[in-house]
Amino acid sequence: MTDTPIVPPADRPLLQVRDLARAFHVRRAGGFFGRPATLHAVDGVSFDLRRGRTLGIVGESGCGKTTTARLVLGVLTPTGGRVEFEGEAVPAPGTAAWRALRRRMQMVYQDPLGALDRRIPVGQQVMEPLAIHGIGARAEWRSRALELLDAVGLGATFFARYPHELSGGQRQRIVLARALILEPSLLVCDEPISALDVSIQAQVINLLLDLQARFDLGFLFISHDLKVVRQICHEVAVMYLGRIVEQGDPDQLLVEPAHPYTQALVSAIPIAAAARRRPRLILKGDPPNPVDRPAGCSFHPRCPAATARCLVDIPALKPLPDGRLVACHVAHGEAGARPRAAA
Amino acid sequence: MAITTGSGPSAGEDATTRERNLPPGEIVEKRAPRGRTARFFEAWPPSVLLALGWILAMLFIAAFVEILAAYSYTAMDLRARLTPPVFWGGTDVRHLLGTDELGRDVLSRLLYSIRMSLLIAFFGTLIAATLGTFLGILAAHFRGWVEDVVLMAIDFQASMPFLIIALAVLAFFGNSLILFICLMGFHGWERYARISRGLAISANEQGYAGAVRQLGAPAWRIYGRHILPNIASTLIVSMTLAFPETILLESGLSFLGLGVQPPLTSLGNMVGYGREYITRAPWIMLAPSVIIILTTLSISIVGDWLRDRLDPTLK
Amino acid sequence: MLRYLSTRLVRALLTICFVVTFAFVILRLSGDPALLILSPDAPPEAIEAFRKSWGLDRPLWEQYFHYFAAIAEGNLGRSMRDGRPALDLVLERVPATLALTIPALILKIGIGIPAGIYAALNRNKLADRLTMLFSVAGFTVPSFVLGLVLVLIFAVNLGWLPSGGSDSWVHGILPIITLGTAGAAVLARFTRSAMLEVLGQPYIRTASAKGLAWRRVVVDHALPNAAIPTVTIVGFMVGSLVAGAVVVESVFSWPGVGRLLVVAVANRDLAVVQTILLFVALTMVCANLTVDMLYGWIDPRLRTRRVAGAG
Repeated sequence: MTDTPIVPPADRPLLQVRDLARAFHVRRAGGFFGRPATLHAVDGVSFDLRRGRTLGIVGESGCGKTTTARLVLGVLTPTGGRVEFEGEAVPAPGTAAWRALRRRMQMVYQDPLGALDRRIPVGQQVMEPLAIHGIGARAEWRSRALELLDAVGLGATFFARYPHELSGGQRQRIVLARALILEPSLLVCDEPISALDVSIQAQVINLLLDLQARFDLGFLFISHDLKVVRQICHEVAVMYLGRIVEQGDPDQLLVEPAHPYTQALVSAIPIAAAARRRPRLILKGDPPNPVDRPAGCSFHPRCPAATARCLVDIPALKPLPDGRLVACHVAHGEAGARPRAAA
Repeated sequence: MAITTGSGPSAGEDATTRERNLPPGEIVEKRAPRGRTARFFEAWPPSVLLALGWILAMLFIAAFVEILAAYSYTAMDLRARLTPPVFWGGTDVRHLLGTDELGRDVLSRLLYSIRMSLLIAFFGTLIAATLGTFLGILAAHFRGWVEDVVLMAIDFQASMPFLIIALAVLAFFGNSLILFICLMGFHGWERYARISRGLAISANEQGYAGAVRQLGAPAWRIYGRHILPNIASTLIVSMTLAFPETILLESGLSFLGLGVQPPLTSLGNMVGYGREYITRAPWIMLAPSVIIILTTLSISIVGDWLRDRLDPTLK
Repeated sequence: MLRYLSTRLVRALLTICFVVTFAFVILRLSGDPALLILSPDAPPEAIEAFRKSWGLDRPLWEQYFHYFAAIAEGNLGRSMRDGRPALDLVLERVPATLALTIPALILKIGIGIPAGIYAALNRNKLADRLTMLFSVAGFTVPSFVLGLVLVLIFAVNLGWLPSGGSDSWVHGILPIITLGTAGAAVLARFTRSAMLEVLGQPYIRTASAKGLAWRRVVVDHALPNAAIPTVTIVGFMVGSLVAGAVVVESVFSWPGVGRLLVVAVANRDLAVVQTILLFVALTMVCANLTVDMLYGWIDPRLRTRRVAGAG
């Protein structure tokens, strides 16, 4: 590990993900004697992320968002495909190389209280990464931690406080400060604001945008909140049952969604102005169990526009004329037969 | 065990929720505001204060037994055999608790026995806690087959009466003080293993430990700086609750003549030899019995109180 | 249900294998069995002959399988004290132990469970406090002290009962009381906390809120649910009957398995010790299996697990 950060060439993405897949071996109900089955949490996911940019990943719970984040961070090893960070494959978790890579990629959690050690003052926790990686002299750690506290908008008075003495937003700022003290180039944010009060959410979003500009950070932003995604993301990918179904510019994608699933998600965003109210598309049923993924397009059992082809053929993620990527036979006009009767 | 039922601070806190769970028709009196003394005794119930006092006295005796004991535990006075204690009609003030069949001073032997029993129980509990915590964390760290093996060992240990295992080991290996202490160290390790495994797994999977690992911390740092300090209070409470059991086990085995061997002496061993003279000199056997009962009782009271204060989740 | 039981059965067999392995390992670790069983100053030819007959000259894994095979056939070796088969020695002591432990078990259940239930239903009243006091005493007073104090009072001072031996049923009274009191205390405490736990559950509140008579709530809802943890502890008590009797049989010179074990350990009569070890393991495993079957009967969640597993 050299002390100078490796700056990737401008043409090379910070993060390159190709055909990423992760399957889990599980047992169906019945304990030890349950039938073994395979759960495809993430299946054939590809995307790029550049420095200073934000990619949002949205979808219902259980769609593979968090697994994607864990694969990108190398906490989980993929069962297929690859993740390249700054041009190099992410090493196996727990190895010295993986630990050293933590200086370059960090994570922000949904539950900041759970991510902090309740027994240690938060200032100590902010400077702990420096101790872990042996960066700088011990005497400088404290001043560095105070700088970071200042960067996330907390004063020096917070240094000696304990996590339980802080509010949710303040705790999330501490987690951010701890992640940023290593000067990473990628920050994976797993639902970073969903556990916060609405009034605090905006503050934290502004802080994230501010920090991104200041440190030239790449964000992988995982959320189920489409409004937030539209506010901060440069690109958004919608996931359904482990696959990306639509990917593109958030303004385009969230205003005129092409995939029926995205359409349903967008229609669920509450709008204040009554005049602009659209018909609400309500999906039938729950997302299917990822262990029993339907054949063909995995969205077809809930899709209002599904055709016979959707039942057998998995749609590929291909560009539409306007540049965004969609995986849907109907959107690409390849569905063939008429939409089947609503069942 | 809930000895301090309804008087501890935690019991007062959820009294309101319990009120609702009471059978219909029961009326719970409302608590009146209390003074400073009352609040002190609510935080430190008298039973706990007494128990702490007794434990401190025992520790004091164990530390300064050479100064406190008037005689060596092996010193015999054959002219004064089976002298009764002074309050038992005895007249010899040199032997407050009387003498045994060889004319050895019961009080002095008692003091040395307290030290021996406490030492064995202390090291036994310490070994069990260290071993159990280590195995539990090992299981949590490696998962997979390591965890399966540890879980199987836990099941085995919990399903066999420990006394039988201990007797078998003593039969096969013979007896020495070191072996005996190690044997006590195998008593109850599975409880610490269960606790530390469960807590370490949850900390690793969703909590602070996972976050610290994500920062790039090596395993020793995660366990040494974060997980162990966080679960220490739970482990200390379990140690306090296990301590009296170890004393009872030690005294039981020594009573059977299979634990501490003469010329060394322990509480159980004194009861065992005193039993031969139960008709003529019951004080030899009663004195250590009283010490065993009061000590185990005191530590249990303090353990329950600690559990209520530090870790109410522990059952 | 069947699936549940077969898992338990596999676990029971594993436990037995574990105990046999445990016995084998510590037997080998403890030194040369030939020197342990014969005296060290036995003639070298005798030691050599012994090694051959026990297969000690063969590789360790082979010895291990022979050991297993011998135990499966019920060949547990001979006592080195009188040369009789260890199994016979143990089995002839079993009735004496049962004569103590079964009445004691009845005493434990008969006093402990009702006392626990009564204390829980009268929480924080005098009866509850007294029960808890009794149960704390049962926990902190070791059985040898209790036994000796009973001897001191009823045999030495009052002269009503014999202090030891097994000539008639009168001799059994003190040991049974000693055994039963400690167990009853443990059981009372356990039942009480199981009951209190159940009484705090929302469904009990619902049941009484919908106007069910309190008596019915207790009998129909609280007792069956509190029975589940209580059955476990009773099962453990049944399984550790021999272990529990070790100390008490020694106090009262009662000629049971426990006393035999203590004497065998003191004399390092390894064949007898290992037989008793296996005997205890077998009792424990059988008791646990019975408890598991009872669970299936008491706890409907286990009955329906099969349906959930198929679905």
